[in-house]
Amino acid sequence: MNTQVQPPVLAVRELRKSFAETTALDGVTFEVRPHEVVGLIGENGAGKSTLLKTLIGLAQPDSGAIELRGERIRMRGIAQAGAAGIGMVFQEQSLIPNLTVAENILLVAEGGAVVGGVYRWRELKRRAQVQLDKIGSAIPVDAITETLSFADRQLVEIAKVLATEERTNAEPVVLLDEPTSVLDRDETELLFAQIERLRTRASVVFVSHRLDEVLRVSDRVYVLRNGRTVAECLPGDVDEATLRRLMIGRDLEGSHYDEESQRPAREAVRLSVRGLTVRDVCAGVDFDVHEGEVLGIAGVQGSGREELCRSIFGALSSRSESVTLEGRPLRMRSPRAAISADIGFVPAERRREGMVGTMSVAENITLPHIAEVCVGPLLQRGKERALADAWIERLRIRTPSASAPLGSLSGGNQQKAVLARWMVSESLRLLILDHPTRGLDVGAKTEVYQLIRELTASGVSVLLMADSLEELIAMSHRVLVMKDGHVTDVIDAPAGAKPAPLRVLERMV
Amino acid sequence: MSVSDKTGSFARLGDPPRLTQSARRKLLLTVMPFAVLAGLVTAIAIANPNFLRPASLWTALDSAVPLMILAAGAMLVILCGGIDLSIAALASLASVLVAMWVPQLGGWVVPVVVVVCALAGALQGTIHVVAQIPSFLVTLGGLAVWSGIALVVSGASTIGVTGTALDWTFTRVTPWNIPSAVFIGAAVVLVFALVMNLTPVRRWLVAIGSSEPSALLAGLPVSQTKIVVFAVSGACAGFAGVMLVGRTFSGAPSLADSLLLPVVAAIVVGGTAITGGFGGIGRTVVGVLIITVLRVGLSVAGVDSSYEQIFYGVLVIAAVALTIDRSKLPFVK
Repeated sequence: MNTQVQPPVLAVRELRKSFAETTALDGVTFEVRPHEVVGLIGENGAGKSTLLKTLIGLAQPDSGAIELRGERIRMRGIAQAGAAGIGMVFQEQSLIPNLTVAENILLVAEGGAVVGGVYRWRELKRRAQVQLDKIGSAIPVDAITETLSFADRQLVEIAKVLATEERTNAEPVVLLDEPTSVLDRDETELLFAQIERLRTRASVVFVSHRLDEVLRVSDRVYVLRNGRTVAECLPGDVDEATLRRLMIGRDLEGSHYDEESQRPAREAVRLSVRGLTVRDVCAGVDFDVHEGEVLGIAGVQGSGREELCRSIFGALSSRSESVTLEGRPLRMRSPRAAISADIGFVPAERRREGMVGTMSVAENITLPHIAEVCVGPLLQRGKERALADAWIERLRIRTPSASAPLGSLSGGNQQKAVLARWMVSESLRLLILDHPTRGLDVGAKTEVYQLIRELTASGVSVLLMADSLEELIAMSHRVLVMKDGHVTDVIDAPAGAKPAPLRVLERMV
Repeated sequence: MSVSDKTGSFARLGDPPRLTQSARRKLLLTVMPFAVLAGLVTAIAIANPNFLRPASLWTALDSAVPLMILAAGAMLVILCGGIDLSIAALASLASVLVAMWVPQLGGWVVPVVVVVCALAGALQGTIHVVAQIPSFLVTLGGLAVWSGIALVVSGASTIGVTGTALDWTFTRVTPWNIPSAVFIGAAVVLVFALVMNLTPVRRWLVAIGSSEPSALLAGLPVSQTKIVVFAVSGACAGFAGVMLVGRTFSGAPSLADSLLLPVVAAIVVGGTAITGGFGGIGRTVVGVLIITVLRVGLSVAGVDSSYEQIFYGVLVIAAVALTIDRSKLPFVK
């Protein structure tokens, strides 16, 4: 592959971007050469999504340069990026479901297919067909987009990006954001074949957390960590383990998770789940959680683990043979019912579901257990204040005061307040943690790990879903592995004898 | 790119910097209503110094009471993220029911009509919650239904009220000759203020209005709260209808209909966010005063009362444009 000598199509130099208190990009540099597939990997929060957003004009970098075909560009929106020949195939997809394939491919780029504001359907279809032909796809141009499979819609998105070719008279740059995350094995193979085809007329940036795939399709791989490019590798020179080490950073392993303070779980079963079925998502799930145990649930997106946890909290309806909490049947009717059964839930999307940003730290902490600070119907503000202050001190929540709006705190401190709202209850029995360290910096993560250890030491049981397998395995006593809505394995993970991530991964995919 | 996609990403990306912006908006929402009220009062006082005499002030307050009662109930609905467009129509229906039932029920007509209207509100709330239909639509439908029922049962005509059963709503209280309605309005406000400040109700409404998913996952009884809020809004509409009958000595199927816009205007001008999650009874009092002073001011300035609706309409749009938190909306429909 004679790409080294050619000047890059797309070059990103020392890109920086920060939001209020977090630095998302802290000096990202990379190049994409003509007809090259560049892999981009990094943990959640490494800056991948922010980087992609800056590349298509959805976010403005604070400093640094984006150069396209040797020219420095500044994009103020996705339309501008498209006009320059950079297009993204979105993970969550961006097609308009009730329009035809042809309309979607040429959306906002209809050109001569619209005359005087009126579609010329024949011309529109012809132009769309040209794009689909480029990728050799047999998808009918007049199909309604929502009737297509996910994989087909993805191809339509690729065709849509290729449509910029005619407008710019240059080969486009196609950004693929986690394109394989919801594809099955066959679909993934087809996509890879498509990428091979794509590289004859475009440059590709392939973002994924599936390292094997990245190694397979990429000509070069960049590793992002904490908003920085930390390595550039050739797939021939590295293996998955090396990449993983580069992604995580050597210095963070071991003590980070405070593995030594993992106490063995107790004998007594706290939660027993038999035959739990959530419609369309998971079926016949059985497991037990013991007192003081962290049961980690591993699984890729779509494995049903999120829905499983939500249904136990009553936030999603489900059927089951039996679900018992300390031997008594648990009615999973509503979150309210779950909370009165001493179950707590920390959702992954903290800002959207976990807290009310405009309400004070104290109000957020007492929200689920308001009765603790009430006498009859009357709120005891003094008591509430004292309770909040005690937890702010105990969890070292950095806030100007208990009455500051929770939304004004940093992510880590917000999360500690969200944890506090469940820890307030002396009788907490089960805490469900859905990605509790998402978006937190390293220091805040460590503190959350410590809190989990303390909770379990005091007998609380925890259901944990985590961002990385390392985190999940390190924090759990046992790991329940799920795939396609079924439990595929339960792996012991005692302190000092943690299973290898690969051992868990094998059962996940 | 679908529109929702783009703006959605923008909103997420922009979250932290927007905090200061939201703080600024809150300040605006808090300071502005008082400034506007003070400005209006000053302007009218200059144009016509008689306005500041106790007699005219009491009269102005007296005229504000039905609006105040309606706004208090409707504010609760807006605070928890919905809207109740049916209040004025329901108040009209209440006036018809009062006029029809007062001969048989005498003074008992008041609690009976208030309860009927509360049930009507609860019905709307239940439909909104159970069928998951936007409150805007349910209450718009309700508006038509209540109006229709009022027309049917009244035979599309005004029903006169005789007797003394409702005299207490529209009389003067010695020694200072203060309108009784002002005391009634103040009592309603006081009850709202006590409930909002001494119990956790307010934060439940704020939590639901700011972030319903968070409220649900924090175990708040979201559906029940909403239904109760709509019932209270209905009850307030019923009581406002009673007050209107007291001062017009009649019930009519469109008696209160023109009050919808001033009520919404009063709530948003007072600084309650139309998107929910921010506001309260104090602000609503200020908003009602602004609308009342404005109405008095327009007549002092010799503006024909036909123009009033135009002012209210412009006011609602302007107030919302100035204060709306666009970061809360994925896109504006």
